[in-house]
Amino acid sequence: MTRLNRSNCEEAFRRLDDFLDRRLSSDEMRLIEEHLQICAWCTREFNFEASVLNGVKRKLRQIEAPADLVAKVLSRLPTP
Amino acid sequence: MRLTRNQADAEDLVQEAAFLAYRAFDSFESGTNFRAWFLKILTNCYYSKRRREKSRPVTSDLDDTPDLYLYARSGQAGFPTQGPDPAAQLLDKLGTERIVAAMAQLPQEYRIVATLYFMDDLTYEEIAHTLECPVGTVRSRLHRSRKMLQKALWQIAEEDGIVGDHARQADA
Repeated sequence: MTRLNRSNCEEAFRRLDDFLDRRLSSDEMRLIEEHLQICAWCTREFNFEASVLNGVKRKLRQIEAPADLVAKVLSRLPTP
Repeated sequence: MRLTRNQADAEDLVQEAAFLAYRAFDSFESGTNFRAWFLKILTNCYYSKRRREKSRPVTSDLDDTPDLYLYARSGQAGFPTQGPDPAAQLLDKLGTERIVAAMAQLPQEYRIVATLYFMDDLTYEEIAHTLECPVGTVRSRLHRSRKMLQKALWQIAEEDGIVGDHARQADA
């Protein structure tokens, strides 16, 4: 990977998902972070995508199973 | 419920998976990830049920969603695109039920991957193991499902009048 600078936002953008999921090598993570420090445009895009991802995760994980589900599951299992 | 799209089918699926897990508990290796093991049984149950139903593949108008869809549309409609948590206002206005509805619109193979990622917090490797597919497949499906989910969220925001209301407030 070439060193990132203002002229290669596209290269940073291609790694957006992998960056947000921390699936890049430590060197690549550092290069993206360095790019974000100097590129306000990419920073806005990356922050917004992170906000969507984290917000959806937060909302969906608030959902609780129905109160009677455990009883229904247990009723289907053979009694010892 | 994000897999089956309705609560009754979801409860049936969980009950069937719990029954199969109970029967197959001897095959669970102590010390390994029980949640991943159970989710594999659950998704296999779901696939098996779908095969039995011989349902037609779902086509979707979400397929051609461009990158940064929600960012672009939010900016056009006057929602925040900057700040510490810029998407929070839109997601809060949508609410959990409508986010669930957006997830339900994803085609099956993308909905399953997205469910395991967003709800169950599985890693790419754990999702690949659960679905018995390469990690690269998980990565590409997740990428597309994120884009499709953004378009579905925006369409629901439009249906619910959330976008129009905000745009009017911004104009006032």
